[in-house]
Amino acid sequence: MAGDMSLKVAVVGCGKIADGHVEEIGKIEGARVVAVCDLEPIMAEQLAVRYGIPAYYSDLARLLEREKPDVVHITTPPQSHVRLGMLAVDAGCHLYMEKPLAPTAADARNLIDYVQSHGRKMTINYWVNFDPVGLALSKLLKEGVLGEPVHVESALGYNLSGAFGDALLRDVKHWVHGLPGKLFQNVLDHILNKVALVLPDETTKTMVAGYRLRPDSNIAARDSLLDELRVLMQGERVSAYCTLSSHTRPVTHSLRVYGTLNTVHVDYNHRTIQMEAAQDLPSAIGRLVPPFQQGWRLLRNGRRNVGQFLHNEYHYFAGMNTLITSFYRSIREDAPLPIPYADILRVSGWMDEIFRQIPQSGDSVLSGRAQ
Amino acid sequence: MRILVTGAGGFLGSVLVRKLLERGQRDIRCLVRSPNRLDQLNSTVALRPDARVEIMTGNLSRSEDAARAVADVDTIFHLASAMGGGAPDMFLNTVVGSRNLLDAVGDRPLRIVLVSSFGVYGVAGLRRGAVVDEHTPLEAHPERRDIYSHTKLRQELLFLEYQNKLGFELVIMRPGVIYGPGMAGHFSARVGLPLFGVFLHLGGGNKLPLTYVENCADAIITAGLASDAAGHVYNVHDDDLPTSRQYLKRYKREVKKIRSVRVPYAALKLVSRLVERYHRYSKGQLPAIFTPYKTASLWAGNRFDNRVLKATGWTQQISTDEGLSRTFTYFRESAKK
Repeated sequence: MAGDMSLKVAVVGCGKIADGHVEEIGKIEGARVVAVCDLEPIMAEQLAVRYGIPAYYSDLARLLEREKPDVVHITTPPQSHVRLGMLAVDAGCHLYMEKPLAPTAADARNLIDYVQSHGRKMTINYWVNFDPVGLALSKLLKEGVLGEPVHVESALGYNLSGAFGDALLRDVKHWVHGLPGKLFQNVLDHILNKVALVLPDETTKTMVAGYRLRPDSNIAARDSLLDELRVLMQGERVSAYCTLSSHTRPVTHSLRVYGTLNTVHVDYNHRTIQMEAAQDLPSAIGRLVPPFQQGWRLLRNGRRNVGQFLHNEYHYFAGMNTLITSFYRSIREDAPLPIPYADILRVSGWMDEIFRQIPQSGDSVLSGRAQ
Repeated sequence: MRILVTGAGGFLGSVLVRKLLERGQRDIRCLVRSPNRLDQLNSTVALRPDARVEIMTGNLSRSEDAARAVADVDTIFHLASAMGGGAPDMFLNTVVGSRNLLDAVGDRPLRIVLVSSFGVYGVAGLRRGAVVDEHTPLEAHPERRDIYSHTKLRQELLFLEYQNKLGFELVIMRPGVIYGPGMAGHFSARVGLPLFGVFLHLGGGNKLPLTYVENCADAIITAGLASDAAGHVYNVHDDDLPTSRQYLKRYKREVKKIRSVRVPYAALKLVSRLVERYHRYSKGQLPAIFTPYKTASLWAGNRFDNRVLKATGWTQQISTDEGLSRTFTYFRESAKK
């Protein structure tokens, strides 16, 4: 690392999400993107030209040798994460990884072990948990406002008609089709990393239902990709229910945590976090007042969001900015990592089990069973 | 002569294939990205049972598909291009796809007709009302323009680089705004943009460089196959160009009433400065939809000249009045479905 503690950063993989990484790094004081890399030189070039980055490469080894970055953000398809991550660690770099970390939990563990054994640090882009409402939820959990967590419901919608969904449905050779969990694996982190905040068990009783609601296209590779997923997980003291839906509208992104003292609902799309109003007044009055309490709480959310907007704290990737900043601070000051490795490994292990129960290589039919 | 048309399933591509068949071409390979939505192309092919028309599904962003597509062809009409999506997608589908096509062609002595765009011209520095023709300099700051223009410029530079290296015959066509039944949107950004339920009319009295899809296809074939066209660039637009105001007025009369607000150019320049300043100040909290550079490029207003195209023998077959009438009828009928 440079003596002035300014971090030199490289971004490897110049696809869609790389834009977000480059933009957010550019806002962080004491960090600068010195180079980008992609196997396809034109893709590396376009990212460099659009953001005024001084160098671009199509070979990571050469980039590492010439630019000597302190941190490498790896935003390539997950099948290459372990290999590229180890290469960067060998060059003395810390890693900021895109999700999913690796195709399997074993691969994820290997990479984390490798990073740790080389005295480097790594985190993963679980940025939603660092959005303002994600941080507010963590604070409630930390302060025990909810009491002991009992159950959590995590839901995420996915629009297959969007640019990414359309691309992967049209192209049966898209890298998503090569993942064990296909579409689910590419987005499930965003469901499970929130569950990991309250469910401590590495293994759970897990029941999975995965199916396809899209009509037949008569192209086997495309039709084997499932688009609806339900997961019921039972740990020792906490249970979870996860929904990933490509067909419900509006496209949702929410979490509900039920505790022994309180229940909270987080809407990540609209950036609201709301405690359930308790019905603690007697008789009919007890049903009359709570809607007004709920309304008042939503109004306060709106007021807070306006305040954040006026203070320029309301960016689309605000959570990613917070997470990257926190990771860089962890490197500079040798502070704890923003995301414990145990959380990342728990998510990877849960994913393995889910995909084991719904293999997607053949006909897509409703399936599910308890572990 | 065996012809490859890339992007043959698209708005312009399907018309171009029909026109090629009408002009007597009988050996055409149509490269399409998706086997869906090929109704128009299939019905065109069905009308010419004597022709050998091969419909090949493939994606030029994969080199093996590019190699299949160019095998045994003598002339390539390269239309395939991303019209929307994120920047990486557009570079992948427009520029990487073109590079793969060129790599697959190698040093074969064939002709490539590249369908580029008006967007490659650097017009931000021109005075208002200046004529844009084939001698207008190329954009020097594509990163300050919209992504579409950026990708089309990069694509064109790639073709020039490969042509210089490999020596194939290259004809570059630069259409203005291609319009007609089947077009994706109802308005070019040169007319204006919808915002919160109101249409911001930004073009005012500017001429629109329209080219009716059939006229455009005619122009591409006429110039593209002309024996002396190699190494030349042709701007493609029709005659009797309407102003943005005339287009919008006629749209309201013939398609549907919409609420529109006219934003004068001076006001737009001011707003653009403010938007850009806020974008920087807030570190990108809201996107810089308007910047002074984009505004000067799109809405300052230019005049256009198609004399070079006409010198190839091309004449406008469908009048602008008729083209607009057909297009607006299509919009109206589509809305009923």
